[in-house]
Formats: sequence, C-alpha cells, structure tokens
Amino acid sequence: MKKTVIAILAIAFVCVGLGLSQAKHPSELKYPSLKFEPPDPKAFRVEFAAGLRAYVQEDRSLPLFNITAIVNCGGLYAPEEKSGLDTVLGDQLIKGGTKTREGSAIEDRIDFLGGSLNFNVGERTSTLTLSVLTKDLDEGLAIFFDVLMNPAFREEPLKLAKARFVEQLRQANDQPNGVLSREYEKLLYGDNALTWRPTKAAYEGITAADLKAFHAKYFSPKNVILAVAGDFSKADLKAKISKLAAGWKGTAVAFPALPKSFPAPEPGIYFIQKAINQGYISLGHLGIEDTNPDYFAVQVMNFILGGGSFTSRITTKVRSDEGLSYNQGSRFTTRWGFPGTFSGYVQTKSSTVGYAISLILAEFNRIRKEPVGDAEMETAVNYYLESFADTFQSAQATMSSFANLEMTGKSMDYYKTYRSKIQAVTKARVQEVATKYIHPDKAAIMIVGDFEPCNKGGDKWSGPLDKLGQVHRINLTDPMTGEEIKNP
Amino acid sequence: MKKRILTLVMAAFVLAAFAQAAGVTLDVKEHVLQNGMKILMIPKPGVPRVVCHIYFKVGSINERPGITGSAHVHEHLMFKGTEVMGVTDYAADAKIDGQIDELMDRIYREKYWKTDGDAAKIVGWQKEFDELAAAEKAFIIKDDLWTHYMKNGGTGLNASTSQETTGYYVTLPSNKIELQMLMESDRLMNARFREFYSEKDVIMEERRLSENQPGYFFGEQVDAAFYAASPYHWDVIGWMDDLKKMTKQDLIDFHNRYHVPNNAVAIYVGDFDPAAIIAMAEKYFGRIPKGPDLEPIRTGEPPQYSEKRLYGEGPAATSLQMMFHTPPDGHPDMPALSILASTLGSGGGGGRGGRGGGGGTGRLYKLLVRDKQMAVSASASSRPQWYVGSFQFSATPRVDKGVQPEDLEKEIWAEVEKVKKEGLTEEEIQKAKNKGEAAFIRGLASTAGLAGRVGRADLKRGWRSILTDLDDLKKVTNDDIKRVAAEYFVKDNSLTAVYRRKSGR
Repeated sequence: MKKTVIAILAIAFVCVGLGLSQAKHPSELKYPSLKFEPPDPKAFRVEFAAGLRAYVQEDRSLPLFNITAIVNCGGLYAPEEKSGLDTVLGDQLIKGGTKTREGSAIEDRIDFLGGSLNFNVGERTSTLTLSVLTKDLDEGLAIFFDVLMNPAFREEPLKLAKARFVEQLRQANDQPNGVLSREYEKLLYGDNALTWRPTKAAYEGITAADLKAFHAKYFSPKNVILAVAGDFSKADLKAKISKLAAGWKGTAVAFPALPKSFPAPEPGIYFIQKAINQGYISLGHLGIEDTNPDYFAVQVMNFILGGGSFTSRITTKVRSDEGLSYNQGSRFTTRWGFPGTFSGYVQTKSSTVGYAISLILAEFNRIRKEPVGDAEMETAVNYYLESFADTFQSAQATMSSFANLEMTGKSMDYYKTYRSKIQAVTKARVQEVATKYIHPDKAAIMIVGDFEPCNKGGDKWSGPLDKLGQVHRINLTDPMTGEEIKNP
Repeated sequence: MKKRILTLVMAAFVLAAFAQAAGVTLDVKEHVLQNGMKILMIPKPGVPRVVCHIYFKVGSINERPGITGSAHVHEHLMFKGTEVMGVTDYAADAKIDGQIDELMDRIYREKYWKTDGDAAKIVGWQKEFDELAAAEKAFIIKDDLWTHYMKNGGTGLNASTSQETTGYYVTLPSNKIELQMLMESDRLMNARFREFYSEKDVIMEERRLSENQPGYFFGEQVDAAFYAASPYHWDVIGWMDDLKKMTKQDLIDFHNRYHVPNNAVAIYVGDFDPAAIIAMAEKYFGRIPKGPDLEPIRTGEPPQYSEKRLYGEGPAATSLQMMFHTPPDGHPDMPALSILASTLGSGGGGGRGGRGGGGGTGRLYKLLVRDKQMAVSASASSRPQWYVGSFQFSATPRVDKGVQPEDLEKEIWAEVEKVKKEGLTEEEIQKAKNKGEAAFIRGLASTAGLAGRVGRADLKRGWRSILTDLDDLKKVTNDDIKRVAAEYFVKDNSLTAVYRRKSGR
C-alpha cells in the first residue's frame, strides 16, 4: 500500500514539476527547451590500410555489427552497349561467388548466422552492406571483404541471372507508375546514360569478363568509403580491417565522361495509352542540383507548394478540397552531379485528369506570383528545424550519411550548418526561387491512362486535353527489343 | 493490494524465465489507466526523439457486409477535426454539417434505395450540397492536426489500418510528447467527421490505385475464395459498392464501439522519462470514459472438405499461388510453420505480406530457380493472423522455356510430400532458429518498427508473446515439422490459383 502512495505522490510531484495543467488546444502548450547538436563527422573518420577511408562509431547498446561499403561505381558508368551491366553486377557480386567461396555457400552461411549481406548498385554509388551478431563479427567481416575484393563472377550463376532478368523484362510495362517514371525521365533527359535501358540482347551480351573488368576498374580502396557501427572497440576493428584490406591494390580510377546537356522537350501533353481507370500524371521539367546555393530555399518553397504532405497547397486543393486523388504533390529530386527533376504529380480517375492538372498548374503559377503566407512559412521552416535530430536516430545511418557527404564531395559542415541555412530562408526568397525554378509554360505533362475518357473530361473540366497544350501520343517500347510498339 | 503484489511477483518470475538472445531481452514498462487504456514504454536514451504510436484492436475484420472498408475510412476521418481542432466556430460549422448530412441522406435514398430514383431531384440536391460544402469551408481549418504535428517537428506522421488493427503514428522531439497526448485524446473523445463525402472520393481513388496494380482484381478474388466465411473475406480497402453507400452514421457507430480507451494501447519508444509519460497519460488519456467490453470475432473458417481452384488471366505476370489454411497466431503449430516458410523460403517476389526465407537460400529457390531452372521466383510464407492463419507458396514460371504454372505446382507438391516424410535437415532447422533469434535482436535496434511490433502484439496476446514465441521457436523439432506438414498441406485444405498473362493488354 505504502508503495502505491509513494508512486501517486511521485506522479503528483512530476505533474507539478512539469506545470501540467490540462490544455484544450495545442496553442496553450508550453514546451521545455531542447538543445541538440549534430555529431561531428571528424570525430568518426578513420583511415585504414590501402588508403581505405571510413566513418566508425562504437555503439554497445546491442550485440550487433553493421558495415557498409560505399563505392563510387554505378549504372551511369556502363557503356551503352552494356546497359544492364549494373543490374547484373548488383545480382552477381555475391551470387557469383569469390575466388575461394561459391556464391550459394556465402548466402547459406550468412543466412545460417542470421545475418544479411546485400549489394545494391545505384546511379553513381554502389553499396555492400553486412549485418551480423557481434559474435560473428570476424567471420562476417572476412566474407564481406572477400566479396568486395575478390568476386569471381562464375559462369553458372551468371547464366541463370541473365535468364531471370530477361524474364523480368516482360513485366516492364505492367505497372502504370513504373511506365510513367521511366518515360518521364526519358522525355526530360533525352537519350543518354541516364535513360538507357537494357534489352534482351543487352542482357545476353553481358559476360563474366565484362563484370570482372567493371569491378576491377572501380572497386579500388581509394574509391570506397566505409560506414561502420556496432558493438566493437574501434582499435580492434581498425586492426582487423587493416589486415583484411592490406593486400587490396587498386589503380587510380578514371571515370567516363557523363552527359552534360539535356535539350528541353517541347511543352505540352505526352500521352501513353493504358486501359486503366485512372490517369497517372507527372508534369514539370528539369530542376536543380543539390549543390545549388538555392537548394534550401527550394526545399522550403516546395514544402509549401506540394512537398509538405497535408500542409501543402497541392494536397489541400486537389485531395482535401476536391477529393480528386489519394496521392498528389510536387517534388524536386536530386542526383549527384546532375540537375534532378521538378514535377507535380497526381493519380486521378480518367474523367478528372484534366481538372487535376489544371489545379496543379494553377498552384505552380500562384507560388510564383504571390508571396506565401506567414503561417505556411512558419510551418515549413519549423518542420525542418524541429525534425532535424531524426537524421541521427541510428548510428549506422549517421555513419552512412557522413560517408556519402565525403563521397559526393559535399561540405562536411553540411549538417552543422543545415539549420542556419533553413532559418535564413525568407518569404521573398521563396518567391524568388519559385519564379526561378518553376516554369509552368515549359512544363511537359505526361499522362499514362485511357485516352478517350481522359480526353473527354468531366463536369468541372471538360476536354479535350489539347486545351492544356499540344497532345503528343507516345508509343511504348517493347522491353525485350527496345523497339517501339505500334498499335498497342 | 495483495493480489497485485502476487501478480507482480509472478510477472517477475515469468520474466526471469523469458527468452534471451545473445544476452539481451525485451523490456517494456507498463502502466494501465483506470479506463483500461494501456501505456507501454521503451526508453532509449540518446537522440532526443520519441516514437509515439497508438494502436486500436479494430480493423477490417470488425466490419460486416455493407460497411466493408469502414475501419479504413474511419482512420481517414480521424484527421478531419474535432470540436476544438480543424474548426474556427464549432457551433456554426456543426449546423451546416448537419444540413449536409440531411441532404446526403435524401440523395442516398433516392440514388441507392430506389431502382428508379429521380435523376433531376438528385442533380438539384447535389447543387445544394455543393453550396453548403462551399459555405462550410469558411469554418474549416484544413488538416489542423497534421499542421500542428509538422510545425513541431513531427515525422513518420501517418495512420494505417490492417485486418486486425488500426494505428496512429508520429515521432516528435522529446520535449513535445504532450502535443501527441493532447491531440490524440481529443480526437478519440471529440472526433467530428467533417468533409466525409469528399474523403470517400479520396478513398475510392485509393482503391482505384490498387485496382490498377497488375493482378489486383485476381488477388482480391483469390482472398475472397480462400476465406469463405471469416471476415478476412474482403480486403481492408472494402468493396466499391460499400464505399459508395456507407453513411456518416455508420462511421459514428463504428467509432463509438471500437475507438474506446479499453480497446487501445499507446506506446512510446525513445528518449524520455517514464514517470513524465505516465503523468501526462493519466491527465489526457485518463479523462476519456471507458467503453463497452468488446467481443472477439465469432466466425472462423469452416473446414473446406474439398480442394478449391481458381483460374484467371489478365495484364500481369503468369504465376502460381497455393494457399493452405493454418491455425491462428499463438497456436502451438505456428513456430513449426514459420520454420517451414523460412526454410522452403523465397527466391524474390511472390508472397503477399508473408514471412518467407531469405535471398537465394530457400529450398524452393534452389530447386526450381537454380537447379531445374523452371521458375523465375519461388517462395513460401506463413501468415499467423489473429483468427485464421494461412500458408502460401508462390512461384513465377520460366515462360521462355514453356514452363506452365501447373508444372511448378507438381514440383512444389513433390517437395511438400518429401518434407512430410523426411522433415527438414537439422541444419535447416537450426538456421531458421538462428534467423529468428537474430531478427529479434535486430528488431530491438529499431524504434518505429519496435513500437509497431510490441504495440500490435500487446493487443492480442500481450507484448510478452514476442518473447515466448522466440522460446517456442527454439523448441521446434523435426517431428513437429513432419507433423504440421502432414496436417496442413493437404488438397482439401487448399486453394490453388493459376494466373496467365493475357497478351494484347
């Protein structure tokens, strides 16, 4: 009984201590202050043997070990006649085995340990990630470096992978959103390494020698940064990794020239026929690089326009007011070394396709012409400031973020200065960057849907679609051959 | 008091006997409010953020024909304001909102109750509706709750509805948990489903998005055929007819019945002081009156006594699914079924929401994809749902080699028969146990994931079931494997679905 009384007293004390009177509305709440300083990348940077760089954090809270190798290597570096090399490499670095281990033996062993080992090839970076229990650190690390340094690309698994990828090509035109994002990029970037797609012949032409050469060229210790976190001592780990990487020789990497110019498509409607009951829509043009000094102002502006979920204008208008869609908004994508895309997006039933597009275009125009409201501005800026600490929730993710900053040549002060850069954004800057980077008159409007009902429109917006610009019909390509499909 | 001490002592005893993996275990602090609402806490000092989730023991299985989809519609409506949130003048708004409901009642009766409703009348009323909806906008503060969360640094902001549970999520700076307590308790007590009719349009668009995924319609029919009697028969999104015709009153009734504190668990994971959480929960959630006791679902699945087969064709990859009824979550056979799924495993793809094995290590992958080269993917998964379980094999044939789904079906049956006779190897069983243990530890490293797992588990069998399930998994023997394979993998307990790509679409 006594215990309960004490507990109640303790609770009462806490209530008083926190000044807990019952609020009826959030405006009545007063919050205790909270200070958060992001971790400093310098404190975690380590160099191992062979010039291998790393960001390492001891985290003894659980008996786990996580390591990621970020390699400056990706699909953009594959020549046109070998497009698909990245997809096959993504599959075969592990499955193709090493000089001393069969691929399936590696997978079986990692699985037996309850671990995971994954390899992923992106546009310009690839990541090999291992997660094992601490007790298996030595064995896991040995396999990890073996896969990273000595892949063998054996013939049998390669043959099998190629057949599987060819089979999967059959599905390339099944998903309306998959078709839309692929064709929208093709339209905005044109025909170059950013948009080349493998065909059956391309997959079939990929050999083990291609994979070996590609690996040898880019998987060089100076072209890799590690991100490591978990239950270990930094000194022990350094000794272990330095020993494993000691024999790793690499040559200086020469990177291929990357596409630089992207001729803008003619504005207007680009329509892709698919017998479905909604139109899947993207409208916009190329955007900015994330190294652009306007990047932070663009973030805040786009949050208000269509990036801030339910607090954003496009969602309020298209979804909440009109009930036209479940998914809608706007986004600025970013990619390392290139401008990303700017697009408004929505999926809506065929009869309201034109209406939804007209509402999004109106929002594009409005944010260019009128200053944003004080409340909108406050929500956007505070969102970025108050949620900042989220980035550092996991030690492994934090180490990966630091490694990526260094890999892509960004300032290592990025996180330290992040909040002040957001705070510096003003309403005038928002309007300035909206005018500078959003051009409704140059927008390419791509629709994947059923042409007749989309073109007809509905009560609130009657067609035809060419009221929004000249209509170009796009025929899909046969994913097997890359040839245009006539009369789909 | 005595009783309580006894419970405490017992709890401590049970806890001591609980699963440990590599020396770590799951420790959750509990507090139960007088109204029956449970508060769970997992403190993780460090980054000043707190995952705040609330789970309700209600989902699409609590619906009936006529209101399918309403658990999910309700979840959407919970963002549409209360008496104090989302509105500038509650009394003025309520008056217009009432008029709108009255008008829509007339429209629904004319449209849906009659076969020869008066179209002209409907058009007239619809015009009136548009005017009233426009007038109401003057009093509505759009997405007020969402805005308050976001400007206070809320991330992971969302809600979701499954067959069994509904969850509301936000992650906040650790000094702002009171915001969540205030707004969540407020919407539990005072939710007012404004903009109901336009939100139903949004949800119909959400359903269309699913419909446009290749093979969706067939999948929906497969589920409906597999679950003949239990409320797992319909998908969470509901049938389009019900979405069109459900009324606001249906949703109010649903809310009052299921969204009560004694049907809820709030869970906090992150950097906080549990005493402060308890004090705030007492103050905000403690003010909500207890609701009626809730009866579990009545209808399970009757035995099939015959094999079911379904054939379909359309704009998606040719595929095979074989489904078997299994017992619900918590049944002693579930750990063995989970080991079977893990071992027969996955080769990528397949398995809707299942718990299959990893990468290319599953038996079916090795047999059908790697060695015989008959399949692009082959997987297995076990779904221990609350009231009825299912075990599923999925495979995609090598169309380029002329392999048919039925060829894969024969192969899978042959492998299943082998397992019935020989079971699995000791190494396979040990591997599945190791994976279960490692997954448990890895789960502890997450925040939102852990909150979801613990919160949902607590609604049915208590959060400690996560620990006992791990213990039970470690006890599985090869005899158990053979026995459950023989018991559940029989034709009369199965549905086989064969789907073929139809060219020209």
